[in-house]
Amino acid sequence: MAEQGRYLYAVCRGLTPAAVDGIVGLGGRRLDLVAEDDLVGLVSPVDLDEYGEEGLRRNLERLEWLEEAARGHDAVVQAAAAIAPTAPTRLATIFYDDDAVRQRLREQHDAIVAALDRVEGHEEWSVKVLTRTVDASPEPVAVLASGAEYLRAKRAEQEARLAGDRDAHVVAEQVHEALVAVVAASRRLPPQDPRLAGHEGTMVHNAAYLVHRERSEEFVALVQGQTEAHPDVVVDARGPWPPYSFAMLDDT
Amino acid sequence: MTESDLSRPAPAATAYQDRPQPANLADILERVLDKGIIIAGDIRVNLLDIELLTVKIRLLVVSVDKAEEMGIDWWRHDPMLTVKERGLAEENQELRDRLEELESAQGSGSGKGSRQGTRQGSRGG
Repeated sequence: MAEQGRYLYAVCRGLTPAAVDGIVGLGGRRLDLVAEDDLVGLVSPVDLDEYGEEGLRRNLERLEWLEEAARGHDAVVQAAAAIAPTAPTRLATIFYDDDAVRQRLREQHDAIVAALDRVEGHEEWSVKVLTRTVDASPEPVAVLASGAEYLRAKRAEQEARLAGDRDAHVVAEQVHEALVAVVAASRRLPPQDPRLAGHEGTMVHNAAYLVHRERSEEFVALVQGQTEAHPDVVVDARGPWPPYSFAMLDDT
Repeated sequence: MTESDLSRPAPAATAYQDRPQPANLADILERVLDKGIIIAGDIRVNLLDIELLTVKIRLLVVSVDKAEEMGIDWWRHDPMLTVKERGLAEENQELRDRLEELESAQGSGSGKGSRQGTRQGSRGG
């Protein structure tokens, strides 16, 4: 009953309908390909109740909804990126019909092609450097007799943490320098908030690295080497991701 | 069926983790909300709103303190995001209590303290 829109997940090159068979869109809906010249838009139908202006305004405020949409979007992008050069679009890129999708692909053709050229054959890795938490204090502070001792212990703990963070920043730079040697591009991202990311320790480095598929093993080996070289910090590398952080249009 | 070489061999237990399922929500949000190509869709009258919402999330990802400064606090109503905060508040209260205890124990102590002359910024002519 609800009016339908077309949700665009990504723009790809050389994607065939057979290749996306079995990939499921948001809300379990089927995926369709919208071709324009050498580009293919990956779309699925969405209810405009949910994804229209009103719906989005309401739903984007709800973290559970947002999480489901983000994971659904990512799942499709991930599947596409595994089989074809893929430029992911930003969450909630919605059109009224396929003609509108085609028109936009036509208008932005050259910029999209340039973005695809940049990421083709590459994948993204996320690398974070975190301080190790020093919470395992040998003597439980709580049983100290006086308030003064308690405060002193607290201050010492805080100072140790600050010094540790400074060192960790230096280490993070070394890790970054080592990694950029084998990557096509890198982008620093803001540190994540622990309340959302759930990490412990201080995130002193958060970056995305664009790595050619043929150099992935080398990159992973480098990360491994850095982890061993710097036992004082946690080097957290995850991937491969679709090239989200490197697929952008030059004119935006 | 041809098995493509897309499925990489399972990594040994190393420093990196192959992409976990499900991936960290913060990792996903910072990518799908802030990265990727921007193509203007038809649902765009509210683009400003979407941008606003995106900014909220971005602030959450970047810095909760900053968001709070701007009066953005919608996540407070989200139990998923407020667990650790309670821990901090408790620790804060505990410290305050201890301090009060300490101050009253000291009675009317002399106001010692490392008072250093504040250096006035001299203005060059």
